[in-house]
Amino acid sequence: MNVLWDAPAPMTVREVLDGLEERDLAYTTVMTVLDRLGTKDMVKRERDGRAFRYAPATTRDAATSELLHDALDQAGVDRTAALVHFARTVDPDEAAALRAALDDILDRT
Amino acid sequence: MTPVWLGLIGLALTLPVPALLARAAWPQLAPAAGIVLWQSLALAAVLAISGAALSTALWLVSHDALAWWHIGLHVAILGVGVLVWGRFWWSARKVWSETSARRERQRQLADLLGEPHGALPAVRILAEQTPIAYCIPRRGDSRVVISSGTVESLDDAALQAVLEHERAHVTLRHDVVLEAFGVLHRAFPRPLRTDAPLRQSQVLVELMADDVARRRCGDQALARAIVALAGSDAPRGTLGAGGDALLRINRLRSPASPAARRASAATSLALSVLVIVGPTVTLAVPWMHHAVQLL
Repeated sequence: MNVLWDAPAPMTVREVLDGLEERDLAYTTVMTVLDRLGTKDMVKRERDGRAFRYAPATTRDAATSELLHDALDQAGVDRTAALVHFARTVDPDEAAALRAALDDILDRT
Repeated sequence: MTPVWLGLIGLALTLPVPALLARAAWPQLAPAAGIVLWQSLALAAVLAISGAALSTALWLVSHDALAWWHIGLHVAILGVGVLVWGRFWWSARKVWSETSARRERQRQLADLLGEPHGALPAVRILAEQTPIAYCIPRRGDSRVVISSGTVESLDDAALQAVLEHERAHVTLRHDVVLEAFGVLHRAFPRPLRTDAPLRQSQVLVELMADDVARRRCGDQALARAIVALAGSDAPRGTLGAGGDALLRINRLRSPASPAARRASAATSLALSVLVIVGPTVTLAVPWMHHAVQLL
C-alpha cells in the first residue's frame, strides 16, 4: 500500500514490484496481494490496454482518519468491545487529579 | 410456587443485586475473583429466569380450572423468560458479527498503516501525535496498536507497561469476557436492563491487566503510563469511561494488603458459589423431581 500511496499515478503490477525495494517477491505474489486488497476495497483497478493499473481506493490520510475515528469512537456501554483501550482520556479536572496522584506515587521512592 | 420464587430470584439478580454490588469497592481488590462473581450473578440470573419459564410452562400445562390472575402471573413469567432467551440469541449473533467486522477492518487498516514495533510483529505504530494505545483481540492473531505520540511521550519502562497491559487483555481473553457481558446487556429488555455488570466488568478487566503490568514493570512505570495516556489533550470524540484512570492510579497509590486481597477473593468466590448453588439446590432440583413424577 505504501508504494501505491506514494505513487503519483496508477501503477501496473510490474511497477509496484519495482517499487518494493526491500524484498525479493515474485510477480504472481504481488499480483495476488493486489487482488486481495481489491476485494477489501483498498485498491481499485482500471484496464490499460492489456494490463491493469492499480491505484489506492482511499488516501493514506483518509484511511488513517477512519482507523483513528473508529478506534476512539466507542460510545458508552452499548457499543461492542471490539477494541480494548489502555486508558481513555479524562477531562481537565480529572487530569489534574491524576497528575497529583502520580506525584504522590513518584515521591514515595 | 417454584416459578414465582425463581422469577423473583431472577428479577433480584437482574436489577437490585447488581446495583448494590456495583457500589461496593471490595471486589476490586481481587479483580479476577470479582469477574467470576459478576459472571456467576449473570449466570444465576439467566438460570433463574429460564427455570421460572420452564416451571411455569409445566405448571400451566398440568393444572386446570385456575383463577385468572394466577394464570396471568404465570403467563407473564413465561413471557419474560421466552423474551430474554430470544433476545439473548439475537443479541449474541448481533454482537458477534458487529465485533468481528469492526476488528477485521481495524486489523486490516492497522497492518496497512502501521509500522511494526522493532522485533515485535504484533505491535503496530501509527503515525499520529495523540497518545493512543489499544489492542485488537483475535485468537492467535491479535494486534496492539499504539501511536507514535505514545512512543514519544513514554519512557521505555512505561511503554513496556502499556504493552504488557494490552498483551494481558489478549492472553486472558478479556475480549470474550466483555463480549459476553455485552451480549447479556442487550439480551435483557430495557425495563430490566442495568449498566452495572457491563461497567464493572470493564473496570475489573482493566485492573486485572494492570496487575499483570505491575508485576512485570513496576507500579511507577504503570502509573506514568496511565497519566500520560489518560491525561493527554482529548481530541476527536473520545467518550470515556474516564473515571477508571483515577481509580487505577489511586489503587497504585494505596495498594491493598495481601490479607485484604485474599479476603476479597474468598468473598467473591464464596458468593459466586452461593448464588449458583443456592437456587439450584433449594428450588431447581426439587422441582425437577416433581416434574419427572408428573411426566
